[in-house]
Amino acid sequence: MSTWGRLNRGETQIDFVGNRRRWFIISGVLLAISIASLGVRQLNLGIEFVGGAEMRADNPAGADVADVRSAMDDAGIGGAVIQMLDDGEAVRVTMGELDEDEADSAADALSVVTGSDRSDISAQTVGPEFGSLVLRRSLTALAVFIGVVILFISWRLEFKMALAGIAALIHDLLITVGVYSLTGFNVTPATVVAVLTILGYSLYDTVVVFDKVSELVDAEDKMTYGDIVNRAMNLVLGRSLYTSLTSLLPVGSILFVGSFILGASTLLDFALALFVGIAAGTYSSVTVAAPLLAVWKETEDLWVERADWVARRVKSGKS
Amino acid sequence: MARRIVGLLVVLAIAWGGLAAAVASGLTPKLGLDLQGGTEVILSAEEGTTGEAIEVAIDIMTRRIEGFGNVQEPTIQQSGDEIVVVQLPGVEDEQLAIEVVGQTGILSFRPVFDAVPGEIGPLAGTGTENIDDETGLTVDDDINADEAWLLYSDAQFGSEVLDVGPAALEGADVSDAVPFFEPNSAVWGVNLELTGEGAGKFASVTALAAAFPVGDPRRQIAIVLDGDVVSAPAVNPDVSPETGISGGQATITTGQGDGAQDEANQLASVLRYGALPVEFEVSEVNKVSGTLGADSLQAGILAGVAGLILVAIVLLIVYRALGIVAIVGLTVFGATLIALFGLFGRALGVTLTLAGVTGIIVSVGITADSYIVYFERVKENLRAGYAVADAAREGFTRAFRTILTADTVSLLAASLLWVLAVGAVKGFAISLGIATVLDIFVARFFTKRAVGLLADSALGTGGRFSIEGAAR
Repeated sequence: MSTWGRLNRGETQIDFVGNRRRWFIISGVLLAISIASLGVRQLNLGIEFVGGAEMRADNPAGADVADVRSAMDDAGIGGAVIQMLDDGEAVRVTMGELDEDEADSAADALSVVTGSDRSDISAQTVGPEFGSLVLRRSLTALAVFIGVVILFISWRLEFKMALAGIAALIHDLLITVGVYSLTGFNVTPATVVAVLTILGYSLYDTVVVFDKVSELVDAEDKMTYGDIVNRAMNLVLGRSLYTSLTSLLPVGSILFVGSFILGASTLLDFALALFVGIAAGTYSSVTVAAPLLAVWKETEDLWVERADWVARRVKSGKS
Repeated sequence: MARRIVGLLVVLAIAWGGLAAAVASGLTPKLGLDLQGGTEVILSAEEGTTGEAIEVAIDIMTRRIEGFGNVQEPTIQQSGDEIVVVQLPGVEDEQLAIEVVGQTGILSFRPVFDAVPGEIGPLAGTGTENIDDETGLTVDDDINADEAWLLYSDAQFGSEVLDVGPAALEGADVSDAVPFFEPNSAVWGVNLELTGEGAGKFASVTALAAAFPVGDPRRQIAIVLDGDVVSAPAVNPDVSPETGISGGQATITTGQGDGAQDEANQLASVLRYGALPVEFEVSEVNKVSGTLGADSLQAGILAGVAGLILVAIVLLIVYRALGIVAIVGLTVFGATLIALFGLFGRALGVTLTLAGVTGIIVSVGITADSYIVYFERVKENLRAGYAVADAAREGFTRAFRTILTADTVSLLAASLLWVLAVGAVKGFAISLGIATVLDIFVARFFTKRAVGLLADSALGTGGRFSIEGAAR
């Protein structure tokens, strides 16, 4: 009988709660790497957050990084970051804050060196104050979202489940941000959106597991809380994996099309965060949220008594 | 059975037919700036700026953009308390865009020297190098120029060109302006109040105007905003040419009826906020070239289609016959979504941005999940010994609860994003929100019926590809 077959019938027998030490160590290592990376490398915040200017031009003249750099230097723009896109077919130049005249001469210089039309150059300039406003708003949205979700899950299920879910969510969040820090990917408002979306996914996955747990708690009176959680997770494991797969496939295709075929950078910003976040979300609802909940609930009097009772039954041979 | 088939056909007809009708009548989704090219300018006002002041500023910008000509469907939206987002599709000169929207309104009162009939629109032909053929005067927007200049009046005052003098009063001379209604004569107007300094200036300019006979264009005082005559009221016959309108107070009547009321309100705001113009800082300028926009759109569509095909393959392998329902359901979902975007684009000005396209691609995952939740329930029921038709019916009731919970979380996220976020994030939130609500409808009115029918058909029982086969 194949693993896939058992998965499809919800007959897997994985002991998620019993193996929690292993899961917690894996998560702990991932978290430690993320936090260390955040401390050392920080995040590559996009100009939308820190202010500055970014220009993008096609490159029919085939200019290389050095050509573009000397052109920018000649135009009086120092410290520009120059990136080749699409195998050198396009150029992206990121600069500090520019006034209108500087922006104008930068665009002129870029147009000459790359041989692309002046009107075909895409440009974005952002003031630093606005950037911090966007960041503040995003963080507010995040805080409000977490608050509302705690209320929603507490109402729909129970408070401890809400906290366990939020713990898993913060886990996913840190890992996603850690990946951004490690890879040096640009963090843009699009990334923030993607991160907020992940929160939805991560929580939804957790809610489905917990929903099953509370259904089994009502139905079973001869199982410990840990066993109930294990049973629930094995029952919904197939769904969790298929859901993640069907969510990852479209996102993965954005990542693939975006990075290998067309180089549409906004799409990429979304896709990387979504991809990492959904993967981490599926993983954490099974290995972080549920074991945490089990550990916590098993300290309650009712469940301590139940565990003792089950242990006595096993000892006396009645199972 | 027959009723269910009819119900299913109605859903398919609404979705596919709706899309066909929308496309046939030109209701295709309105593309955002990042997908069609253009310039976006985000302006921030100082903290504490009143909403009314920003509304007036938006009004002024709209007028300027209209004068700019050749901008297809510009949008100016207020976002949050202090942020204004201006989108100018097709405009590829970002300097010009900033000039048009980034400067504050400048208000002045000027004597009128002459009125010439003409068909020139507001702001047309402005610029220092332009010399008017007939008068030889420089057509200029610079209000500090002391020489006489030529300004164009709005269409609403008749198509005439007013030749006006240097500014007699400026916005700062106005202390307040309030619209009023005179019930006896049913006349609307504006009560104008001037500062101490403004009162003297106003008295002398009105005294000059009062010297001309009634009906002469020179009896008018031109109220000019950004080189555009917004109003040119004539001084009343009873005003003495010796004193003018003194005392620092004046009324400007706009006439009777709804039009006059609107005009009075608008004029009052122009006068009031001309004195206290909103200082905007240009926070972000985002110019997307047409080619980059087209590339992004292509990438989005490609990624979306590829993602859909992959999801379809997985659903077919895992859920066999049920996968067919999911695939047809995804086309119902997709067709309705595109038609809805077309409709909202026309009715509410909702645009489909790159972030929106991503939102849609993400929502494919959400919809697919609804099928998975349901199908897993059906499989569970079959293993528990239910007959196929019962497993489908009972499974839906249970699964629908979970789907509602899931979609509530997504909708919650979408609404919060929409309320709290700025710019691109809003586009994402709109797509996600619409898709989530649509998902609930598709599950209830399509999936339930389709699976019910399938359960009764040859694909319900028997064979590896049947519903029963998927559970084994």
